Amino acid sequence: MKIKVISRSTEEFTRERSQDLQRVFRNYDPILRPQEKAVEYVRALNAVKLDKIFARPFIGAMDGHVDAISCMAKNPSQLKEVFSGSMDGDIRLWDIAARRTVCQFPGHQGAVRGLTASTDGRILVSCGTDSTVRLWNVPVASFGDSDGSIKTTIEPASVYVWKNAFCAVDHQWDGEHFATGGAQVDIWNHNRSQPVNSFVWGSDTVISVRFNPGEPNLLASSASDRSINLYDLRMDTPVRKMIMMTKTNSIAWNPMEPINFTVANEDGYCYSYDSRKLGEAKCVHKDHVSAVMDIDYSPTGREFVTGSYDRTVRIFPYNGGHSREIYHTKRMQRVFCVKFSGDGSYVISGSDDTNLRLWKAKASEQLGVVLPREKKKHDYHEAIKKRYRHLPEVNRIARHRHLPRPIYKASSLLRVIADAKKKKEERRKAHSAPGSVTTKPLRKRRIIREVE
Amino acid sequence: MAEEKRKERGDANRHTAKKKSKKTSDNQRKKTGPRLPSSLKKEIQHLNPTPVDVDDIDSDVYEYEEEQPEEESRKNKRYDPVSVNDDNDLSSDFEDENVQSDDDDGGYDFIGKKRKEIDSDDDYGEEDDERHERMLQRITGMPSKPFDGNKKARKNDVIPELYPESENNPSHDVVEGDGRISIEDLLNPLRDDPDHSRLRLRNQQIENRSRTVHAPLPKADQAKVERKVAYQISKEQVTKWQPLIQKNREAPTKYFDEKTDLGFSTIGAIASEFEPRTEFERKMAALVHHDKIIEAHKNDGASLLDMNKVSIVCEKDRQNRNAKLRSLLFRHEMKAKHVKKIKSKTYHRLLKKHRLKAESSQLEMDPEATNEYALKQERQRAEERMTLRHKHKSPWLQRKMQRGLDKQDEGTRAAVTEHFQRHEELTRKRNTMDSSSSDDSTYEDDDDENAADSDPGKANNILRKAKQKTLEVLEEDDGMPKSGLLSLPFMRRGLEKRKEATIEEVNLTVQEYEDSMKKLDDSGGSEDPKVASTGGRRVFGMAKAQTIGADNKVELDKFYNNSDSEDDFEAKKSGNIENDGSDNLQKDVINDSVLNQENIDSRKESVFKNFDEIVKNPGPKTTYEVSIFASDTWKKAKNKNGIDTDIKKSSKFTRSVRHNVKNSEKDQLGEDSDTDDEGQMVDGILTSASKPSYELPSQEELIRQAFAGDDVEDDFEKDKQEILNEENPEPEKPLLLPGWGQWTDIQQKKGLPSWMVKEHENARIKREEALKKRKDAQLKNVIISEKSSKKAEKLQTKTVPFPYTSKDVFHQSMRMPIGPESNPSTTFGPLTRPEVVKKPGVIIKPIEFEEVNPHVKPEQQSVKNKKLNITKGNDSEAIKKSKLKVKGNK
Repeated sequence: MKIKVISRSTEEFTRERSQDLQRVFRNYDPILRPQEKAVEYVRALNAVKLDKIFARPFIGAMDGHVDAISCMAKNPSQLKEVFSGSMDGDIRLWDIAARRTVCQFPGHQGAVRGLTASTDGRILVSCGTDSTVRLWNVPVASFGDSDGSIKTTIEPASVYVWKNAFCAVDHQWDGEHFATGGAQVDIWNHNRSQPVNSFVWGSDTVISVRFNPGEPNLLASSASDRSINLYDLRMDTPVRKMIMMTKTNSIAWNPMEPINFTVANEDGYCYSYDSRKLGEAKCVHKDHVSAVMDIDYSPTGREFVTGSYDRTVRIFPYNGGHSREIYHTKRMQRVFCVKFSGDGSYVISGSDDTNLRLWKAKASEQLGVVLPREKKKHDYHEAIKKRYRHLPEVNRIARHRHLPRPIYKASSLLRVIADAKKKKEERRKAHSAPGSVTTKPLRKRRIIREVE
Repeated sequence: MAEEKRKERGDANRHTAKKKSKKTSDNQRKKTGPRLPSSLKKEIQHLNPTPVDVDDIDSDVYEYEEEQPEEESRKNKRYDPVSVNDDNDLSSDFEDENVQSDDDDGGYDFIGKKRKEIDSDDDYGEEDDERHERMLQRITGMPSKPFDGNKKARKNDVIPELYPESENNPSHDVVEGDGRISIEDLLNPLRDDPDHSRLRLRNQQIENRSRTVHAPLPKADQAKVERKVAYQISKEQVTKWQPLIQKNREAPTKYFDEKTDLGFSTIGAIASEFEPRTEFERKMAALVHHDKIIEAHKNDGASLLDMNKVSIVCEKDRQNRNAKLRSLLFRHEMKAKHVKKIKSKTYHRLLKKHRLKAESSQLEMDPEATNEYALKQERQRAEERMTLRHKHKSPWLQRKMQRGLDKQDEGTRAAVTEHFQRHEELTRKRNTMDSSSSDDSTYEDDDDENAADSDPGKANNILRKAKQKTLEVLEEDDGMPKSGLLSLPFMRRGLEKRKEATIEEVNLTVQEYEDSMKKLDDSGGSEDPKVASTGGRRVFGMAKAQTIGADNKVELDKFYNNSDSEDDFEAKKSGNIENDGSDNLQKDVINDSVLNQENIDSRKESVFKNFDEIVKNPGPKTTYEVSIFASDTWKKAKNKNGIDTDIKKSSKFTRSVRHNVKNSEKDQLGEDSDTDDEGQMVDGILTSASKPSYELPSQEELIRQAFAGDDVEDDFEKDKQEILNEENPEPEKPLLLPGWGQWTDIQQKKGLPSWMVKEHENARIKREEALKKRKDAQLKNVIISEKSSKKAEKLQTKTVPFPYTSKDVFHQSMRMPIGPESNPSTTFGPLTRPEVVKKPGVIIKPIEFEEVNPHVKPEQQSVKNKKLNITKGNDSEAIKKSKLKVKGNK
């Protein structure tokens, strides 16, 4: 006869140290917990509500500029350093952690329109409407002077004067080239006073230029003729042009997917494109009610932040049609530039009201050191929220946002307009011969043509 | 560049022609070298069906004898950019195309090279060139390629005549003057060759196939073409990212916190940087970094012991001391354990006593301890007075009091009492200290109250009020319960009976009131204050005539008990009093006082009546009277003694008097009331006693009796029909308005128009079908409402959410909970892992290229990539399954 005996080794249930957690033995049989699903639903609901309660995205404003902030650049090697340039020619280096100016870079005569820093964070490149490109040596931050509030001014390392005003500049990742956009796209080297290469296609002003961080030889630009251009540094010529119905204000490449980029358009939408198939947008991100002025990808490549002329900052998922988050304050005016921080957990916006603003990328995230058990709890909450997000109550609470009245009104108006258009289209379709009226899908609607 | 490559590819067919022409040139030259025997040639041809000429092999064989370095240098020529450029020009010049150059193309280089080598054989100057080349190569460390062009040019200059057919030869025209050499010219000398006819045929073919060359494109178009090609290339290059991106997207979790170097050094690194600054630190450093110690450390630390010398005596001493201490401790411990094990209560009590005694003795002995104790006591008292913790403030006590003390169990009540006692104890100290308390005050208060009560006018008033109240209660009681347990027929009957009894009793009481009122008027203020005061103490715990049914019952009960056992009368009585005490607490004060008065008044006369009545009353009444008599006699004895100060005694006495009064009045009413009383007793409470033959009906019978009136099944049917009608309403009957649509006479003649009838019929059929489709159509005793409930709506999605393709898959994904209660920690982590894991403060670099095998599943790859194996979440797996299913269906 076989006798079954319950046997447990003492190691299983004794603690090694008195501080250790007592092990809990559970029977995971679902029959024993028939209410578990309901419990989890309620937990999800509570988690969503807690998110609302803890949503305090605004960390602080950084003031110091005396004119609207036109451009920003983050230091790729230093997490807490951000450069900002304003319309009066002032460039500042900010310490985000302390929220103060570290030093200033005076010199530009007109507005600063473009800022970028080399990958090692040593050289800052700025350009502006005074037709100059200036290179600056960035002071190295040390622990000693981090507490003192000594503002220093720095002389430009070199000034290159060129024939036309500049609108944008961007530095190659891990290289020594940078590109400026003005009358044409010029490729510069750090130590040459003249561009090493320039790409011309058409005669319109280039508004923005952005290098592909994953594929450093590729760059994209947008021009005031509503076009988006692709360039390859290895070729002599521009590569491809695509014309949309409205101007593109800014471009951002996905740092984790070098084939994809997203453009911020004047019509309030953002369009994600595959650089190989420009005839159709991969995704249309709509929520802004006015022109989108700037866009920047999170370094994780899973979301991007946009700043709009409607005085809001929004965060979109890279593959979602609507924004995940909207940030606004009473005092924030037109947002001209936005940046994600290097670790993807903060967002910085620069606006017309001369302030830089620091936001959390996740509004309800807990800052500071998070204990492992806390982290586990947060993860669990995220998981159940994700799981039950389809249920109406959870969805409603998660999506609910208080909007400034003008934006709320504008968005409802836009919705009405869109509905009316759709209705009209449907009627037109219904009352004409089948196949004679076709609707262009939204992804293609705003594209005029692709030029070879 | 790419364009050029493509052109090359396009020209491939043309190259065959070139090859032919080359062969011709080779043929011309092959005489110079030694030949293979024809048999061997045939053999080779047989082995090599490819159109490689025997002659070529021929020369190959020859080539083998060449010097190695030379060949190397030639090889470099294969990638000569100049030659490729030359190739470009070919397209524009037809003549040149036919006359193939040596260094034309990689594929055919092999032949050209040979030819070159042959050339070099012939050329005496070539050797010098080779040497020069090698020298250059050695000096510059570069392949000879860059110098080739130069050399070639020179070579051509030197021996122009030998290469009349080379298009590379710039001096060709100069040398020959006007004459352009045609292919015919070149072919002519080969006329006697066996291959000649073939060559000519080929030549002709080429000439026939030749097309005209177009003019170069305009610049814009050229740029367009260039851009197109460039885009194509850059597209191709970018496409290499595709698998990597795919992998990252499909991965359930992407980690960005792997390569973290925050620049923090280890403890060892920090320690090594330490420099002693303060005096103390310097001293310590001097000790720690002493040469001897360091040396000792180096030698396995064995010599460290030598440095730390302790005398044997010292060590022994220490050991002894420790042992002693340890043994003492052990003994003490053992003793404590032993003492703890003793279960005897007496022992512990004695122990405690002893301890207390010791304490008190210490108090006595030690003035300091006494002081301390006194202080402590004082403090406790002060605290108690401030907080009143043991009076009402404790929430526990408040809660208990709120619920009512009488509802608590014994233990709680005891606890409450103890609580109060504690309060008393704590506050009593003050009294002893003050020693100026007066118990009199309370008594005085009581007397005052009683005095007020005894005022005749007021008493009269109160009596009237009491009467009114009783009548009111009677009126209120009229309403019969119409539902619930009390509405059952037998209960109703019982209630009715009881009510009758109550009414009677009320009547009695009212009469009593009236009597006493009269008497009050008579007697005026002539009352014994002493009696009044004693009566005042009867507020609690006295049983008296109560008009309300429940109390009535209790009373009857009491009576019955009395009659049951005469001997126990006193004891039982007191027991009853105790039981009633709680009830009486809530009793109206007015009522009490009224009764007091009444008792006082009636006592005098009724006492004497009792004896007569005992004789009169027969039956069950006798026992009752006896009991009263007994109490009365006892009272009388007391009275005789003339001591009536004991409050308790007096209360008992007066109570019995009151019963007396009541009974006497009943008797006055007549025999009917007596019989009624009897009946009431039998019917209400004493059923079992008076009717021992009565049997309890069975459960079924009871239920049948209880539900005799109502038809549940029928009700249910009706309900169901109602709900059905509500959810699927019956179609309206067609209505004919006279004069509408037709003349009335026609309407009358034809009846309802056919369409109306049809419509009605359709609606009816539709409804019937709907009813048949209902879930409860076949279930006779069930109603399943088809209205969707609003509460359930909250927990449902209206459509299958986006990534899911079918309902089942979605349900499957939601089936298992992911919480820590229903999943072991090994699966809980992977189930709840977020999509992106990053560390705040760590800069995330853009993606770097790595080869990804697109045909390997991402999971396997992740395992390969030294990741913890990530088991996928339920969701993604479910999605995959659904995809598979869909595929299978197709």
